[in-house]
Amino acid sequence: MKVPPSLPLLSANKVDAGYGHVRVLEKVSIDVRQGRIVVLVGRNGAGKSTLLRALSGLNRPTSGTITFDRRDITGARPNAIVGAGLLHVAEGRRLFRRQSVTDNIELGRYGLRLTEQEHDRRVNRIHELFPILQEKRDLPAGSLSGGQQQMLAIAQAMMREPKLLMLDEPSLGLAPVLVDQVLAAILSLRAQGVAILLVEQMVERALEIADDAYVMQNGRVIAGGLAADIAAGDALQAAFMGEHGTPDHSGPRWSVS
Amino acid sequence: MDFDVITHGIVAGSLYALVAVSFNILFRPTNVFNFAQGELVMLGAMIFASLTSLAGLPWLVAFAATLVAVGIIGLIEERIAVAPILARSQTGTGWVITTLATSLIISNLVGRFWGPDPILVKPPAPLSMDALEIGSARISSYEIALVLITLILVAVVERAYRTLRGKAVMAVAEDREAALLRGIDPGSLGRWSFFLGAAFAAMTGVLAAPILYASTSLGPDLLLKGFAAAAVGSIGNNRGALVAGYVIGVTEAIGASLLSPGYQEAVIFVVVLAILLLKPEGLFGSPNARTV
Ligand SMILES: Nc1ncnc2c1ncn2[C@@H]1O[C@H](COP(=O)(O)OP(=O)(O)OP(=O)(O)O)[C@@H](O)[C@H]1O
Ligand SMILES: [Mg+2]
Repeated sequence: MKVPPSLPLLSANKVDAGYGHVRVLEKVSIDVRQGRIVVLVGRNGAGKSTLLRALSGLNRPTSGTITFDRRDITGARPNAIVGAGLLHVAEGRRLFRRQSVTDNIELGRYGLRLTEQEHDRRVNRIHELFPILQEKRDLPAGSLSGGQQQMLAIAQAMMREPKLLMLDEPSLGLAPVLVDQVLAAILSLRAQGVAILLVEQMVERALEIADDAYVMQNGRVIAGGLAADIAAGDALQAAFMGEHGTPDHSGPRWSVS
Repeated sequence: MDFDVITHGIVAGSLYALVAVSFNILFRPTNVFNFAQGELVMLGAMIFASLTSLAGLPWLVAFAATLVAVGIIGLIEERIAVAPILARSQTGTGWVITTLATSLIISNLVGRFWGPDPILVKPPAPLSMDALEIGSARISSYEIALVLITLILVAVVERAYRTLRGKAVMAVAEDREAALLRGIDPGSLGRWSFFLGAAFAAMTGVLAAPILYASTSLGPDLLLKGFAAAAVGSIGNNRGALVAGYVIGVTEAIGASLLSPGYQEAVIFVVVLAILLLKPEGLFGSPNARTV
């Protein structure tokens, strides 16, 4: 059952969401079409992570609707949303640090029934893309470097072969060469037909590989369209300017993790 | 000191270890300590005793029926006393009160079904409680079997945590939200763990019955010592619980042989408190520690 190209795979329509009584998102609408990389940019606190959390069911929207693959998933439970093929790799990766690399990869297919052949095919593909994970397969995930952990998080998602993968700041804390590797992995996923919703602080790099883009500010989407148009437009400037017109947090964030 | 003291300590310690393991089964995905666990052990012993000596059911049938019955009671407890609390806040500690309340309700209700007299439960043939002389130790064939079964059960439980579902339980224990994002349903694992943890407690009661007799007052003592074994062995660590069970059982037996029986509880308390003061997280690592 393929979604026709005209119909977006994921569609959020005027979504409000937040934490308890704190409202963060206001009437957020975005679309992600099949096989495309969509990047979501905005300053710290703009609400990017909150939007991903609302889409994956961690935060229940207080109003608005979310449809995925023609199904209404508004307010659905996270495991149902994962089952539908919408996967969220959270900010900070959130691996099971005490379990081994192999166990983490296997947990990526939790609840799926795979034939042994299919299982091995997926594992082999992961090891081809990230040979280091094969080398470290018996070590606890917590002992990996930041870059290796990001690869493991993506590998875990690859076990499930989602229709849409949401990645929250995968480059955070990574050395430039590893950032390249992560971006290359994202491109290779798209080549296999996986749609990507990417939150990135490295705005320029992200816009280079993206097809579409949205700009968020203070819990709202202030612009959306083709990545190239967004890169050239004013909304980006506006979103990353401080209130007094000074650039703020526009560069890459090299926080140490 | 007589070698008997050690064998008795190991036998009693095996029972404490089993109670501790039943605590751990339930604790891992929920972070809840079920203070009704001692009463579930008691129910296991009493239901089994009634089914075999009163209703005359065959050993295996009574065993299976007891486990399922108490498992369902555990599930009901989870639905009524635990799930609503965790739904409000994952980190809330209201379950301390509600599981204690469950314990009180069960211990009050059983008085209506059963009298205060202990019921003798015979071990399944060919095992018996007749003491055998092995070297200088006196131990029955049933007690030997119990010690061995305990080792096997701990190995089986640990093996279960090596399956994908078991790993999912450990994942929930480590980071519940991260588990949700991998399609794991912590609620369902929590319900299963209550069912299985309660059934395991009932099995402990069945196994204990030939040694301790089935009695409605079995609960508090096993709760306390099982809890001590779980804490000393590091919460969530089943092998730790086994070793800690032995330590507590042997300490108790030595205390009883050196001091008057009234002091044996005090000896356990001193030893357990001393261990927990020196190593608050128990002898075998941090809470929830991965046990390979
Ligand atoms: N657990 C929480 N409880 C209450 N408010 C929160 C919580 N997490 C985030 N917020 C608030 O929600 C708003 C949006 O945060 P969010 O994490 O979505 O931003 P973001 O765009 O992902 O920022 P960053 O680039 O720093 O990751 C912020 O004002 C933040 O303070
Ligand atoms: Mg964020």
